[in-house]
Amino acid sequence: MTRYLNLYWYFLIQRLKVLMEYRVSFILGASSTIVWQASSIAAVWVVMQKVPSLNGWNYDEVLLVYGLVTLSKSINHMFADNLWTLGRIYIRSGGFDRFLVRPIDPLFHLLADRFCQDGVGNFLVGIALVIKSSIDLSIDWTPSKLLMLIVGVVSGGFIFIALNLITCVSAFWIVDSVPVTRLVFDNHLFAQYPLSIYPKAIGILLTWVIPYGFASFYPASYVLNRDVGNIAWFGPFVAALLLFIGYRFWQFGLKYYSGTGT
Amino acid sequence: MIQTARRNLSVYGAVLAMIPKQFMAYQLWFWIGLVLNVISMAILVYFWRAIYANTSTISGLAQNQTINYILFAFIFMPLTSNDLIWEFGSNLREGTIIHHLLRPINFQGMNYAQMLGGLVTRLILQVPMVVVAVLVFGLRFPTDLGTWLAFILSALLGFTVMFFFNWFLACFTFYTTEIWGLGVLVDGMTFFLSGALVPLVMMPEWVRTIVLSIPFAQALAVPVGLLTGITPLSDAPQVWFIQILWILGMWIVSTLFFRIAVRKITVQGG
Repeated sequence: MTRYLNLYWYFLIQRLKVLMEYRVSFILGASSTIVWQASSIAAVWVVMQKVPSLNGWNYDEVLLVYGLVTLSKSINHMFADNLWTLGRIYIRSGGFDRFLVRPIDPLFHLLADRFCQDGVGNFLVGIALVIKSSIDLSIDWTPSKLLMLIVGVVSGGFIFIALNLITCVSAFWIVDSVPVTRLVFDNHLFAQYPLSIYPKAIGILLTWVIPYGFASFYPASYVLNRDVGNIAWFGPFVAALLLFIGYRFWQFGLKYYSGTGT
Repeated sequence: MIQTARRNLSVYGAVLAMIPKQFMAYQLWFWIGLVLNVISMAILVYFWRAIYANTSTISGLAQNQTINYILFAFIFMPLTSNDLIWEFGSNLREGTIIHHLLRPINFQGMNYAQMLGGLVTRLILQVPMVVVAVLVFGLRFPTDLGTWLAFILSALLGFTVMFFFNWFLACFTFYTTEIWGLGVLVDGMTFFLSGALVPLVMMPEWVRTIVLSIPFAQALAVPVGLLTGITPLSDAPQVWFIQILWILGMWIVSTLFFRIAVRKITVQGG
């Protein structure tokens, strides 16, 4: 474990050296995500100036939901972005074979190979939104609420990673896994708003099938004293289960991997 | 003998197996792209329905009018495409821009034709989304021919405004040689500033002033406003006139900037 932590640190330093060589790209990359988020948030702001209630949620409550899912997403974006490129960059070029002959876990190698700077933008947006909304809502941060906040963001982050892991394994068969990953990943956009604004089926989908709801809607509801029951605490178990499935599926896929001949 | 045959079989088999993999990847993209669009469209529609849950009109717009606007804006989003920036970028990176500049045809005219072709292709690819919008989200077409004609003319003018504006922006790549960042930045801003997410009439005065003093909205919010009747048909001539002024302004500015910037071209090999 310590060996892997040390290795990760080493990989990260190397990656930062590369990024510092291209400083403009680094800053543009990190700020591009901010601009995208700003567009969506500006739209919510404009509309909620006119109508202060999104089906019973006020502007700052919506921002809290939005901020939480953005934070969870940023964890995945910064530390596990390589799951997107497994097929396109590593398998297609044959670069993945390099990982297989090294004395470390290939999945770890894949993840550690590239820290993604674009995620920093999402992280900053998420933090800013959570702080802004919790001040304006004057949330009383009891220990259990604070714990829920951390549990929500961390398990949300692992749910993002686990779902991307499960879908990226398809690269072992179809090489380019990006479409499959996108298909699942884009559902997180639903979780940018309270799940209660959607038809029941979408709520169930985002809770039990593609459970991004645990990254935003449930922790936010708990923090805002909305009655969602104890389901908000299920997040870590859902994340652990998905990670377990993801890792087993990864090992299964690895057995079938045969390279593309390049 | 048998061993050789077996080895050959497995080698050729592997090569053969690559083809359906590649083919499937493209097929997959088409269908999955469709699902991704349905997700984005659904979020917009449910968001607006939730906003209208406790009110019947916002800035004079009823729910069905707003949702019609949002759906049409979604479908006609290709009008705001900034492909030109990427095109310039790849020409610059591969050095092919030199050949284009030496050809005995107008470089700008050639690019305009190319972008117009791209627009038509993208709009054809939106047809499945039109079907979804009609069947699932209740999109309604205007029945009046005049409205359609006013829209089509305004859309073409707006597209032309964006063409010259993108031409202007693309010239910056001659200086920065950083294409990806510029493209993504412009993409992100377009999302809000084109009026794709909120009808312009709902924006606070000062926001609307900003949005109308930069070109993005001319390509989407303005024509779609005509199409959905938010802007009355009688205002159409005035709308076209303003768009023509935009085209003239952007044409002059972008042409001048291009003349200066083109001297700076640094091709990154090729």
